[in-house]
Amino acid sequence: MSLVTRLRKARLRIEGSKRSALDMAHGRLTLIGLGFSVLYLIVAARVVDLTLLQGVLPRLNGTVAEQAIETDKQQIAVLRADVTDRNGVLLATSLETASLYADPALISDPVRVAAALSKAVPGAVYGETLEKLQRKGRFIWLKRNLTPEEQYRILEMGEPGLQFKTEYKRIYPQGELAAHMVGYGSVDGQGLAGIERSFDELLAKGGKPLALTLDIRLQHILRRETDRAIREFSARGGAGVIMDVVTGEILAATSLPDFDPQNPSAASPEQLFNNVTLGVYEPGSTMKIFSTAALLDLKNPGLGMTFDTSKPLKVGRHTIHDYHPENRPMTIPEVFMHSSNIGSALMGQMVGTEGLRNFYKDIGMLDPVDIEISEKGRPLAPAQWRDINTLTAAFGHGISVSPLHIVAAASSIVRGGTLVKPTLILNEAQAYGAKNAANESEIRIVSPQTSHRMRQLMRLVVTDGTARQADVPGYNVGGKTGTAEKIVNGRYDRQKKISSFLGFFPMEAPRYAVFIMVDEPKGTKKSYGYATGGWVAAPAVGAVIGHMAPLLGMEPHPLNEEDDLSFTLKPYLHDKKEEGGQLATFTTE
Amino acid sequence: MALSFDIHTEQTLAQKIINLNWGLMALIFLIAAIGFVALYSAAAGHFEPWASKQIVRFAIFFVMMAGIALIDIRFWYKISYPLFGIGFILLVIVEFMGQIGMGAQRWINLGFIQIQPSELMKIATLMALARYFHTSTLEDMRRLSYLLVPALMVLLPVGLVLLQPNLGTAMIMMVNGATMLFIAGAPVWLYLLGLASLTALVPLVWHFYMHDYQKQRVLTFLNPESDPLGSGYHITQSKIALGSGGIDGRGFLQGTQSKLNFLPEKQTDFIFTLWAEEWGLLGGVFLLLLFGLVFLYCGWIAFRCRHAYGRFLVFGLMVNFSLYMFINVAMVMGLIPVVGIPLPLVSYGGTAMMACMIGFGLIMSASIHRDSKLAKF
Repeated sequence: MSLVTRLRKARLRIEGSKRSALDMAHGRLTLIGLGFSVLYLIVAARVVDLTLLQGVLPRLNGTVAEQAIETDKQQIAVLRADVTDRNGVLLATSLETASLYADPALISDPVRVAAALSKAVPGAVYGETLEKLQRKGRFIWLKRNLTPEEQYRILEMGEPGLQFKTEYKRIYPQGELAAHMVGYGSVDGQGLAGIERSFDELLAKGGKPLALTLDIRLQHILRRETDRAIREFSARGGAGVIMDVVTGEILAATSLPDFDPQNPSAASPEQLFNNVTLGVYEPGSTMKIFSTAALLDLKNPGLGMTFDTSKPLKVGRHTIHDYHPENRPMTIPEVFMHSSNIGSALMGQMVGTEGLRNFYKDIGMLDPVDIEISEKGRPLAPAQWRDINTLTAAFGHGISVSPLHIVAAASSIVRGGTLVKPTLILNEAQAYGAKNAANESEIRIVSPQTSHRMRQLMRLVVTDGTARQADVPGYNVGGKTGTAEKIVNGRYDRQKKISSFLGFFPMEAPRYAVFIMVDEPKGTKKSYGYATGGWVAAPAVGAVIGHMAPLLGMEPHPLNEEDDLSFTLKPYLHDKKEEGGQLATFTTE
Repeated sequence: MALSFDIHTEQTLAQKIINLNWGLMALIFLIAAIGFVALYSAAAGHFEPWASKQIVRFAIFFVMMAGIALIDIRFWYKISYPLFGIGFILLVIVEFMGQIGMGAQRWINLGFIQIQPSELMKIATLMALARYFHTSTLEDMRRLSYLLVPALMVLLPVGLVLLQPNLGTAMIMMVNGATMLFIAGAPVWLYLLGLASLTALVPLVWHFYMHDYQKQRVLTFLNPESDPLGSGYHITQSKIALGSGGIDGRGFLQGTQSKLNFLPEKQTDFIFTLWAEEWGLLGGVFLLLLFGLVFLYCGWIAFRCRHAYGRFLVFGLMVNFSLYMFINVAMVMGLIPVVGIPLPLVSYGGTAMMACMIGFGLIMSASIHRDSKLAKF
């Protein structure tokens, strides 16, 4: 190829190259330009998205998270309502506290944080805390309800992974004093027992305090005396109730052993168990109040009617004994006063199976007691009520009820014969002295005459019978003892008793019922080895009455012997001479 | 033709200064000024340690940019290949010598400034590509053998940068090169093939090339909340900051996310977040608008340029500049995985600023000398 042609070719290429690659590619340039425009728009849209859509708009309504926290706050911002006694003394209240949780994902150095925490918060064990901080999740409780000082020390650490949530801690200023009635709640503030449970929804709404009928002063007296009896007789536990028989208000109720409602998880099942309303026991002789009342009311016998208690009573293959047989016929006051099982069984027989069962049903002995807490025991009664059941039920065996059953039913009888409904909730207008209109019950159980007879009989038990140690001069206490053998492995165990006493005062116009029950008391030297209701529970009830009556401003009214309720019954007693200090002459079971 | 050649190649210095793109320079100054404000705020209202240095550097590089703009485009055209050669050698020095002598650093210390050769190499590569395509014809572009040289011009430096390893820069260089070839008229099927093989390569790269921290970044991008304290931390905090800015921002010096050091690298890669937290949607959009105007300006310059070298160079630099901006802004807003790419002109840093200003100098040189006659040989 010559130089000339090469040059010519080159010139041709130069001419041709006017249409350079770039010129050819206008379409491609447009494409690239479009691509970058799209990128530009995407980026711009993202700025709007992050600042406006995700930034401002959610803030106007609150972000999703904030809303969640907000509703959360609203739920707990309502402070759970307080619970007070009848005089406004706080029984349960709520405090705002901070609870500590960790977001393990935000904790860069768990070892250091765990070490610092174990110093800042007592009870935060290093190993345990470290394990929690090293978990995978985003939320783990470290400690609920910190003290302000603990919270301050944690804030000082400045660890972003440690955060607080406002919670409301339930405080029970009276501690275990009314633990079973007031109840307790979970860490999350949910009521788990007692009033806290049964009124959970109402309390959770907040607002005015819920006033109970309890009187913390009486509660204290009752608990102290019940506890003293339990200790003195080395018993397993016990229960006590003080009730206003006019209004049905429970002024005090204690179940021992009890627990600290602040820390229910530390309590044993025995401690948590409510002996007053949930536990059902064979009451023993206190049941004779009802069989006797049934007889007086239904059969209207003269008080001088006698029952042959000279020999054990055989019914089919069962034999009913008296502990210390008098071996002679006894009048009704004698049967009641000496607490003769044979006599009571014969009374039951006289009332009849149908009559006694209906009577028990009417006074509420066959249904769970009607009270405002959830822990209520269902009475155990024979499914097939045969004649033998009638005989044993008359003296308090073969049927199990809660202590509150006994108190409420007996109160109905002594207060004039109309049914009283026990209650724990104070009616606002109510206070001492004011009549509770709601409890002016028209459901008549027994006639006023029977009621009066029963007051006489119960006063006699204290003046001349098994419960002389319950008397408080001037307050004219009446009542009935009960000593039941516990059933162990299907047999009655003579060594294991439930001893109780139900007292009323003043007997001429009963206002207050005081009941104390002691579980498995053991006789002492002082009680000559006896562990019966008369020796164990009656003195305790006496002590309670002795302390509470002056506290409630009741003046003592000592009566002459002739004015005493029991005086008119004296003619029916044959063995007055034998009594002289011989308390062991009564029989009881 | 001859007439125009005579008039436009024989501009006096005064004429050139008059012909400088004052509008573009104003835009550049505004964007840089936003950087100063942001850096001042990043130091909680102090010029030290960032804003003052950045201002001084900008002043120096601004003069440098003007100087580059006033130098005839034919000079830049001539030294395109030599510059590429020098850049390549520098890159080799830091890659191989650097690993022996200076640990794994990517820097060369020139005393007053530390230079990352890879940054300069990007510009040198674009110049060399523009130089190469200046003489290309459509027929040339259809020959694969003709495309081999520009392909090597791109792949060799990319390979060296990958060895560092600096995935972000390597990717930008790849995209720069690919875009240049695309505009020059490389066959479309090449791109389809490239896309297909890339897709096939992804699992291999994932298993054999990528470091754990890079894998982690990708995984975190896919689910930032999976590791809010680790790799996802930047993005989570950045999003929070942007969200807290709202429409008009928290106000100058009021950005809590950046002030309280929740936001890492706030003076470099995450400066857009800092800016948008304090000046809000309006501030962020304003900055984007300035960038947009710069792109339009560059496009206008490219279209007015009479020679292929200038047009290729301006397009290449514009693509490079845009990619930086897009990748940085998209990254801080969680649209793409975290890669260490600064926001041009705004982020604190000498080399990035220098590379940027050199690029604008070249663009303006192409603009002033748009009618220069460049030989096709």
